[in-house]
Amino acid sequence: MRDNPDQSKPVLTATGISKAFGITQALSDVSVSFLPGEVHALMGENGAGKSTLGKVIAGLHKQDTGTVTLKDRELIPGSLDDAFAAGVRIVHQELAQCPNLSIAENLCLHDIPKKGISVDFDEMRRRAESLVHQLDPNIDVTQPLGRLSPGRRQICQIAASLDKDDQGNNAAKVIVFDEPTSSLSLTEASTLMGITRDLAARGLTIIYVSHRMSEIFTCCDRVTVLRDGKYVATSVVKDIDEPTLVEQMIGRRISTPGAKHEQSGEGVEADAIESLVGQSNSQEPHYDQPPRLILSDVCSPGKLHNISLKLYPGEILGVGGLVGAGRSELFDAIFGIDKRVTGSINVDGDEIAGKGTKAAIEAGVGLGYVPEDRRNQGLFFNLGIDENILAPIMPDICGSFGMRRLEDELARVQSRVDKFQIKTASLRETRPNELSGGNQQKLLIARWMSERTKVLLLDEPTRGIDVGTKAEIYKLINEAADQGLAILLVSSEMPELLALSDRVLVMGEGVIKGELRGDQMTQTNILTLATDESASATIAH
Amino acid sequence: MNRTETADQQPQQSNKAPSETRGSFLGRLFSHQESGLVIVIILMMCVLTVYGHFNPSSGKRKIELTPDARIELLDAQNNAHEVGTIAKRNIAQYRVTQGDDVSDYPASRIDRFDATTNTLYAIDKQNRFLKKSNISLVLKDASFFAIMAVGMTGVIILAGIDLSVGSIYAFSAIVGAMALSALPEGAGWYISLPVGMLTCMTVGTLCGLANGSMSVGLGVHPFVITLGMMAVLRGLTIVIPQQIFNTQSIGGFPDSIMTGTIKAELFGVHPVPVFVMILVAIIGWFVLSRTVFGRRIYAIGGNETAAQYAGIPVGRVKILVYTITGTLCGLSACLYLGYFGAGETNAGNAYELQVIAATVIGGASLMGGRGTAIGAVLGAIIIQLINNAMVIFEIDQSYNQIVMGAAIIIAVVIDQTKQRVQARRG
Repeated sequence: MRDNPDQSKPVLTATGISKAFGITQALSDVSVSFLPGEVHALMGENGAGKSTLGKVIAGLHKQDTGTVTLKDRELIPGSLDDAFAAGVRIVHQELAQCPNLSIAENLCLHDIPKKGISVDFDEMRRRAESLVHQLDPNIDVTQPLGRLSPGRRQICQIAASLDKDDQGNNAAKVIVFDEPTSSLSLTEASTLMGITRDLAARGLTIIYVSHRMSEIFTCCDRVTVLRDGKYVATSVVKDIDEPTLVEQMIGRRISTPGAKHEQSGEGVEADAIESLVGQSNSQEPHYDQPPRLILSDVCSPGKLHNISLKLYPGEILGVGGLVGAGRSELFDAIFGIDKRVTGSINVDGDEIAGKGTKAAIEAGVGLGYVPEDRRNQGLFFNLGIDENILAPIMPDICGSFGMRRLEDELARVQSRVDKFQIKTASLRETRPNELSGGNQQKLLIARWMSERTKVLLLDEPTRGIDVGTKAEIYKLINEAADQGLAILLVSSEMPELLALSDRVLVMGEGVIKGELRGDQMTQTNILTLATDESASATIAH
Repeated sequence: MNRTETADQQPQQSNKAPSETRGSFLGRLFSHQESGLVIVIILMMCVLTVYGHFNPSSGKRKIELTPDARIELLDAQNNAHEVGTIAKRNIAQYRVTQGDDVSDYPASRIDRFDATTNTLYAIDKQNRFLKKSNISLVLKDASFFAIMAVGMTGVIILAGIDLSVGSIYAFSAIVGAMALSALPEGAGWYISLPVGMLTCMTVGTLCGLANGSMSVGLGVHPFVITLGMMAVLRGLTIVIPQQIFNTQSIGGFPDSIMTGTIKAELFGVHPVPVFVMILVAIIGWFVLSRTVFGRRIYAIGGNETAAQYAGIPVGRVKILVYTITGTLCGLSACLYLGYFGAGETNAGNAYELQVIAATVIGGASLMGGRGTAIGAVLGAIIIQLINNAMVIFEIDQSYNQIVMGAAIIIAVVIDQTKQRVQARRG
């Protein structure tokens, strides 16, 4: 898979790149060169500058100093057009497409073919097919792009980057993939990595910006690590292991204390996560006490079928499965967001099924929900840190006639911010978008991990945050469980799920496919259950 | 690390749907965005026709008789009577003999017989809805704002809005009226028509250009800019005739722009505005769905950032769309002048709402990215049909707004449900 790329001469060189956004120095004096036919990963924590470097190379950002040279030709800084003409392309999520137009129109948007005064739909279709079908011959280019799955949309974006002009000039030579798999399922991600290798085999240079370790080791030839906007090292992937890479990224070696489930270690990534999870919760879940959360025969039309589970105090119950298995839907159902739920949802004796979100968060019930998409489902970006944390309990802590008691609020917020170590300039004036991704996530967790919460639903609690903050969040989760909080955890990062959970339920197509405990808790078992169509809850109680 | 082990499960749902919907001709017809509107229009017309048939309007019509015609009044037993010797309620038939030709009219169809002039008056029962004059009235009333709605569709596809269309319409009409009233009485159509069209459309174009360039150039949401323009232009429309002519209505145009062209009679109706509406709809459909400019409008409405990165001159396209909307308001204003023969300061009051309603009923989404010119015209026709139904059902005009408001909400809810169902199937 990893043939030796042509080591002769770099196709693209970035020299001495610096870039500041306001007071933040995103890149300082970074130099990297990229060889023809290689997949070259740019890695680093969030805010390390890897995305910025990719965007500078593609002409989306204009660097303050430094040059990008493609085969002796210096590219005009910040010119997408010039980069395009030279054959440098970028595929990234914010460069999203128009979901209301057909795939063909999206692919030809920059240069719609004309016949007289009318659009030449046949030519457009032909051109789009010639691009898309290189990657996936099953895509019908006349359907609206909005109907496609995220994975296929990504494929269309990559197809678009392969475009050249009418004379066949300007063919793509270098393509920057900016976090290409962040919204894809595992299956789609592996398809994408196949395509990446395929493109590299055709002689293209792929600059692969990602923070997913497994992808780096699966499909990349070389890896350059950035930290705090500075160049750290470039290594050949074959010659480096994961702990070294993590060390380069965070600048220190993480000690590796005893992990919770020894047998879950499958490969280096798992080891790294295990080490991040660190000291596992010392106390066993209280299986002797009555369950905190009991679900029986919970159904939601088209989403969930007969879900039953019990969650005990102090337990972390993992929910595994592939994207689309119904895990987030289950959380929506428990939390009262899904209004069409039938069956019984019982929290410590209170029946809340079908009663809505308000019933779920009431002081006596104490449900908390950290949703997967903090930008759209979680935080209020127009409000301060204080209101973001206190939003669910505001009605209970205010004075008469709904007047806010600012002193009291501030004290509560301060204690929460201290406990969760949220780095913020001000409690009241700072808005969430001024925080780093990791601090935003801690802010959201701080909202729900309070003394009145008895059951906490965590959906992808560490998505898109750096390793350092991940370790902090793991610690918080474990501590909370030790103090008796019952936690239901969804994570697509399997080592994380395995390392944190006491038990794991595997979901698929809206049903619970099985339960795994102790020695059974391995990545292989989860994947087998998740993908097995006939599996029912066969693995033991 | 074993991420590849799930690679065998390829998602395969996405390319089934199109082939199914494209199968039959009927399926294709019903999947079309405008088919729902056409069905609604046909249903409304059926209901109105049936109602109009059983509740006909009655008028009197003179039955043409030759001077030598002889009229006998027959009773139920077919005995003939002289006029004045039989009570009207006993008459069963009127028998008219003109030369060799004898024809009978049942009494129910005859209003009266005037013996002094030897004239027979028939009661003329007509379907209240399905008659030439009524249908052409509906279409004519629709055409004035349907033309503007085609432009508005472009604006709404851009995720913009133009609240000033009613005021642009009134302002261009007043300026056009001033130009037309200055022409000599006997000016030919080749003078009056270009003068009227050019004046109205130039004024409209400039107003639209102002809307577009201000909202793009100043980076202000078009809602605010066009709200301001709505008030400014309406004010100008009132002030100018008052200050210059001390009147609220400017008339006295050459006949050539009225009965000569815009109000020209064809088959007993005045169809010119309707023809213009159809023409504008066809051009609008072509531009939006078949030209690069049109597809760029959809692209911007779908995702402005993506459009920018695709090298589309977003600002220029936006300005052009607002400008064209202004031009169409001017065109509509010119039709109004020619049809009614005077420009009034309260012309097009609250038209912006009717125009937006037409586009929304026609399937445009205020979120942008969706809408069609044909849909907007059909939406305008639906609005006029509702208006007409209120007249035919003899419901007080004051209820119009209630029904109209409810219709808009229902239309949008139905459309959204349809979208959701389609999205689920796709």
